[in-house]
Amino acid sequence: MADSDFLSALRTLREGGVEFVVVGGLAAVLNGAPINTYDLDIVPSRDEENVGRLLQVLGRIDGIYRLQPERRLRPGASHLRSPVHHNLTTTCGPLDVLGTIGRGLSYEDLMPHTTEMEISGGLLIRVLDLATIIALKEELSGEKDKAVLPILRRTLDEKQRAGE
Amino acid sequence: MSEELSEHEAIPQAEYSEDGVDLTLIRWMLSLTPAERLQVLQRHVNAILELRRLNGG
Repeated sequence: MADSDFLSALRTLREGGVEFVVVGGLAAVLNGAPINTYDLDIVPSRDEENVGRLLQVLGRIDGIYRLQPERRLRPGASHLRSPVHHNLTTTCGPLDVLGTIGRGLSYEDLMPHTTEMEISGGLLIRVLDLATIIALKEELSGEKDKAVLPILRRTLDEKQRAGE
Repeated sequence: MSEELSEHEAIPQAEYSEDGVDLTLIRWMLSLTPAERLQVLQRHVNAILELRRLNGG
């Protein structure tokens, strides 16, 4: 599997005109939480045109499912239009394309809970806010999610104290 | 510029929350821009992956 290259993946998605929100561990880091993560989690708009653009980008970065890599399975448009999760590997590292997260929250549902951040010269991306990341992780029962919650909560406290 | 801690001064200690989270680390991350936070993460990931490779992982 290729090593994670977050900036290349995000740049390629933006340059391809894909509309998406960054969620998960990377969103927490961009919000200031001192945690580690190896994969990029995104929730894309699932409208037909955006799915078409996403498919083109996935073709450029050789996006295939991480499970059964020997078969080199790739998602089609109908798969990306569904609300399920696609755990892919790409030339920019692991990429999880999530149709919805939490209790069925889509790109449109998440948009009011995002901020735009500049992550490289002029490169702007939509990132889920920390309060929503915490609320989503509180709904999940995984040990990994529970373990990181204290750090996320204290980061939010410190951000609010700093008036950020 | 840096200043050496004098012999008689107490060593500055990290500040922890009640649930054991290092608040000085959070404040340091919050002092960075999102672009810098991404660079920090990428460097950590690269270093860990390199260590894994060196150890045959």
